[in-house]
Amino acid sequence: MTETLTVYEPDNALKRGYLNIFREIGRDLKNNRWLTWQLFKRDFFAAYKQSFIGILWAFIVPLISIGTFVILQQSGIFNYGSIAVAYPIYAVLGMAFWSLFSTGLIGCSNSLVAAGPTIIKINFSKKSLVIASIGQSLVSFLIQFIVLCILFVVYGVVPNIAILLVIPLMIPIVLLTLGLGFLVSILNGIMRDAGNLISVLITFLMFLTPVLYEIPNEGILWQISRINPVYYLISAPRELILSGTMSNWIGFMISGILSVVIFIVCLMIFHLSETRVTERI
Amino acid sequence: MDEELAIKVEHVSKKYCKSIRRSMGYGIKDITRNIFGLSSHSEKLRRDEFWAVNDVSFEVKKGEILGIIGPNGSGKTTLLKLINGIFWPDKGKITVKGKVGALIEVGAGFHPMLTGRQNVYINGAILGMSKKEIDEKFDSIIKFADIGEFIDVPVKYYSSGMFVRLGFAVAVHRNPDILLVDEVLAVGDLEFHNKCMQKMGEITQNGTTVLLVSHDITTVQRICNKCLFLNNGKLVSNSYTNEVVNEYYIWVSNSTNKHKEELIPKNDVGAKLSELIICDTYGNEKDRFETGEKVSIKLKFLVAKPIINPILHISLNGDTYHGYNTRDDNIQIDIVDNNTEIILEVDFLGLSTGIYHICVALWDETYIYPYYWDWDVGQIEILSPIIPLGRFIFKHNWKILHKDEN
Repeated sequence: MTETLTVYEPDNALKRGYLNIFREIGRDLKNNRWLTWQLFKRDFFAAYKQSFIGILWAFIVPLISIGTFVILQQSGIFNYGSIAVAYPIYAVLGMAFWSLFSTGLIGCSNSLVAAGPTIIKINFSKKSLVIASIGQSLVSFLIQFIVLCILFVVYGVVPNIAILLVIPLMIPIVLLTLGLGFLVSILNGIMRDAGNLISVLITFLMFLTPVLYEIPNEGILWQISRINPVYYLISAPRELILSGTMSNWIGFMISGILSVVIFIVCLMIFHLSETRVTERI
Repeated sequence: MDEELAIKVEHVSKKYCKSIRRSMGYGIKDITRNIFGLSSHSEKLRRDEFWAVNDVSFEVKKGEILGIIGPNGSGKTTLLKLINGIFWPDKGKITVKGKVGALIEVGAGFHPMLTGRQNVYINGAILGMSKKEIDEKFDSIIKFADIGEFIDVPVKYYSSGMFVRLGFAVAVHRNPDILLVDEVLAVGDLEFHNKCMQKMGEITQNGTTVLLVSHDITTVQRICNKCLFLNNGKLVSNSYTNEVVNEYYIWVSNSTNKHKEELIPKNDVGAKLSELIICDTYGNEKDRFETGEKVSIKLKFLVAKPIINPILHISLNGDTYHGYNTRDDNIQIDIVDNNTEIILEVDFLGLSTGIYHICVALWDETYIYPYYWDWDVGQIEILSPIIPLGRFIFKHNWKILHKDEN
C-alpha cells in the first residue's frame, strides 16, 4: 500500500518551483471534480428550497431590469442608439452575457468567506468552492438563453446559425470571470473591502459598458469602451448571433487572449495563496 | 522518514496576529511575497504577533494513540490544524505519511435546507471520500447514525444530538491512515460517547494512528498510550500517559493554588494543612504499601478561625482516581480547629501498582467553597506482588467444585 508523504513547511509553495505548480493545480482540479459538482448542487438546491416561486426567480429578475429600460426608452429618457432588431431581444442577449460576468464575479468573491468556518477546520480543495460558485451564474445564463429563444419565436425573428456556437462564444467571458473571481476571493478573504468594492464597481460598470445600448461613435464613453474587454466579450457574440458578422473580431480576439492569460495567472496566484487565507479569514 | 513513523513534527512554530487591521496588512504582504517567490520571513515576530505554537517537536509511530492535553489556549487545536494542513507552520517542518482525516468539525458542509441523505454525500465529499466510497458505505453510515426515518428530513429539523450523530457517522467511515480528533466527543450523550469510543477502538485495531485532543482526562487515560502536555504553545511533556497526566494534575494544582490566594478573602477564613501522616496497621509511618494493606491517613489543619461543619475530601490520584469524602459517608465534622485530628482508615486499600498523589480538600458545608485544596499534598506508592488485571483488586478467593465430590 503506497502512502503519500506530505510535507508542510513555511512558504510551502515556493519550495517546489513554478513549473511544478501547474502540475499540482492540474492534479487538484482533476481529483476534485466530484466535490465541485456536489458543492454546486448543494448551493443550487438550497437557494431555491425555501421559496415558493423557486427557480422562476431566475427568469423574473432579468426581465424586470430589461422591462425598466424599455419603459425608460419609450418615455424618451433613455436613447439606446440605432438597433436593427427588437430591443428586448437585443437587451436579453446582452444581459445574459453580462450577468454571467457580474453575478459570477460577485459569487466567486464571496465563496471563500461564506465557507469560512468550514475551511478553517477541514482541509479540502478551495478551488472547488470558487468553481462551484460560478455554477449558479452558468445556470442563470442558461435560463436567460431560454427566455431569449422564446423571444425569438414571439417576435418572429430568425437568429443567425451562429447561435449554435453559443458555448464556445461564452468561454472567454467565463474564463475572465473565473480568473478575476479567483483573485477577488483571496483578497476578500483577507479584507472584506475587496468584495464591497467589486459590488459597487460592477453596478457602475454595467452602465458604462454598452450592454443595454449601442456603443456611441465618439466621446468619453467610446474611449472607455474601446479598451474594455468585457464590451468585446459581450457585443461580439451578440452581433454574431443577430447578424452573422463580427465587426470587432480583432477586439474580440485580443479580449479572449487577455481572458485566458488572466485566468492562468490568477489561478496560479490562488494556488500559491490558498493557505494564507485560512490563517486570516 | 523512518518507516515506522506516521507523523514527524520538527521544531514547529505558528504565529497569530492579535489585531485585525494589522492582520490584513500582513496577509496581503505575505501573499505578495509568496507570489513573487520571496520568503515571507515568517520566523520573525512582527508587531501584535505572538507564538501560538512555539518550537514543538515530537514523533508519532504508526498505530499509536497520542493524547494532547493542556489548558485552554495552549495551542492544541492550532497544532492539530498544522498537522491537518489547514495552514503551514511559520518555523520548522511537519511530515505526514498517509491520508489524514479529522473529527474536528462534525457535519462540515451540512446545509440545513437539504435532507440528511443529501448531506451525507456533501459532507463525505468535503471530507475527501469518493462517490464510490460513499455509495458502498452508505448503509453502514445510516445504521451507525441511528436516526431512522429522519434521514430524509431537512437537517434544520434535527436535534443537536442527531446532527452530531450523523456528522460523526460520516466522518468515522472515512478510514484515514491518521485520525485527528478535537474535543468533538464532548458533545453528545453517554450512549453516543460509548459508541464513539468503541468505533475508535475498532479503527485503531486496523493500525490507524490517532491524535486526540481532549479536556476529558479519563478518556485520555483510557485510550491513549502516550500523551503530550502543551502549555502556552510550548511542549511541556511528552511521555507515557500516566506520567504526563500526573504532571498535568500537578500543574493544575499549582495554578489553582496560585489563584487560591485570591479566592480566600483577606480576613482569612482559610485553612492550611499542618500535618499529614500515613500509617500502616501497626502505626508505623510509611509511604510505601502493598496492595491490600490497611492504610490510615491522619490530618491536622491550621485555621485562622474554627470552621463549622466542613466536608473533607481525600483522594488518591494516579492513573486511576479513588477517594472518599465525609458527606457521602454521612460523617459530620462539627468543627475543625487547630487541635482537630481527622483520621481516614481504609481496611483493604486494593489499588494496584502505582504512585498515587494524595489530594486533600476541605470544603464548606455546601461543597462549593474550598477552605483548602491541594492536588498533591504527598505521595503514596503501592506495589502489587502480582500484576493484576485492571487497576483495583478486591478481597477475593476461588472455590473449585467437581461433580462427584460434595
